[in-house]
Amino acid sequence: MATLAVTASAPLDTRQRGERARRMLLWAYAGLFYCFLYLPILLLVVLSFNDSQTIGLPFQGVTLRWYEEVLGSPEMLRSILNSVVLGVVSAAVATLLALLLALGFRQEFPLKGLLMKIILLPILIPGIVGGVIYLVFFGFGEVQFGVWTTALPVHITWVLPFAFLTLFPRIHGLDRSLEEAAADLGARPLTVFRRVVFPIIKPGVVATAMFAFTLSFDEFIRTLFVIGNQRTVPVHLWTLLSDQMAPFLPAVGVVITVISMLVSFVGFAASARAGRAH
Amino acid sequence: MAAVSSVPPRRRDLRALLVIPGALWLLAFAVAPLAILFAMSFWTSSIFGTTTDLTLDNYRVIADDPIYFQVLLQTLRIALTVTALSLLVGYPMAYFLASLRGPKRGVFLVLLFLPFWSSYVVRTFVWLPMLGRNGLVNAVLLQLGIISEPLDWLLYNEGATHIGLVYVYTLFMTLPLYLSLDRIDRNLIDAAADLGAGPFRAFFRVVFPLSMPGVLSGCVMVFLLACGAYVTPQLLGGTSGMMFGNVIAPQYTVTNNWALGAALSVILVIVVFLCLVIFGRRVRLNDIFIGG
Repeated sequence: MATLAVTASAPLDTRQRGERARRMLLWAYAGLFYCFLYLPILLLVVLSFNDSQTIGLPFQGVTLRWYEEVLGSPEMLRSILNSVVLGVVSAAVATLLALLLALGFRQEFPLKGLLMKIILLPILIPGIVGGVIYLVFFGFGEVQFGVWTTALPVHITWVLPFAFLTLFPRIHGLDRSLEEAAADLGARPLTVFRRVVFPIIKPGVVATAMFAFTLSFDEFIRTLFVIGNQRTVPVHLWTLLSDQMAPFLPAVGVVITVISMLVSFVGFAASARAGRAH
Repeated sequence: MAAVSSVPPRRRDLRALLVIPGALWLLAFAVAPLAILFAMSFWTSSIFGTTTDLTLDNYRVIADDPIYFQVLLQTLRIALTVTALSLLVGYPMAYFLASLRGPKRGVFLVLLFLPFWSSYVVRTFVWLPMLGRNGLVNAVLLQLGIISEPLDWLLYNEGATHIGLVYVYTLFMTLPLYLSLDRIDRNLIDAAADLGAGPFRAFFRVVFPLSMPGVLSGCVMVFLLACGAYVTPQLLGGTSGMMFGNVIAPQYTVTNNWALGAALSVILVIVVFLCLVIFGRRVRLNDIFIGG
């Protein structure tokens, strides 16, 4: 509307009419865009209730049996558990490492530019290669593949740059005079952090941890290569997709999506509340 | 970054030591694996496994068989087209979001994010029932009488790979675009209008140049992601929509030729990093990610 809609120096009414036309065009475009975004997902939801042995139309009546099949499967429940545990632990560790990195980055030190590039490395490595390097790395080191041995370090490494990039601007923008005042008043460095710095950045830390959780929860390609015969939720879906086009696949997709969205919502609410508290 | 470097260090500050745990972690789990991958590309794989006998054979195999070069070119072409398409699709959307005021903006932003809170495996999979033989597109076209037989060519080709990749990565383009458009001072646009610039001129001379940081960071992000794609071309692309990732993966999942897979991976990494260096001459790498 007003910010960017550009007005010409023509007489006022034509100017306004032009602006309104542009606005309507923009809204129409947004409508199309959201259709593109949501139509496939809505179709997936509809098909997950479709009482048909093949995935697709026509719709042949409502059934809940695909959901019963999916939620009754111990493999599915085990993958959900694996994904949640991986997400929580890797979010906690990555956020802590990122916080330390971001705090250190406020100072000058040798090789800082190089370290910045190394932090970005896990993002810059193309996805498929990101999977392959860990297969090679852990395979060569003869580490047993599994959730704790290989998938966890891979998730932490994958999430770390994102956590750093989310935290760094908030910590970098912190007013140093507050800390200096506290230090001048005799507070020791750890006390300054605990009583001054941390309360200010806490909402950012919480938001970062939640973001990290969803990144880990949705991670697929790097996990696929190192998870061995265990499964996370996306890996489970992939295995089902590669094995057979089973009629319950849309239900699996909906269940995964609902879990991801719920977690993100909780994270959103938590970070908003943490933001209000200060 | 720039602000930090411009402040002269007053004294050696021990707080810089806080970076050590993170730095060590990344050395162990990002730098070391990459180094091993690089080394392995010169090793020897046979049916008995991979040994550290040094050889150039892996690269020779790749150079001798034109298929690898073709797929690499195809991958770069698809990644570039997907980046351009994402920019075209995402820019008006980002413009729309930046033009909203108050709670409306929050609502539409959440609506943009929502689908991306699901795994991209799901976001790719949804296109199977969209484009498949008994999918939605065919059903609608049949219903409207435009076609009398379901179309078979909607799926399993390059076009489906393009649609899937644009769909899967559109947030990574739209978000940085929106952030940079939102940061533009509206007074500048008013000033352009007052100085007699029409809407199009004001857009191309003022708004678009000022949104360049967002354009660059969105493009780099989508290009990078698309170059490393595996899931989307595997599920939707068939044989004609194949990308480099679909050549690398079978070396590990099917033929167990780790050394050849490592060489192929090294080539992809080098090509992608070269592209980044070319981009990086115009914009600093760190700004791409931090400065959105």
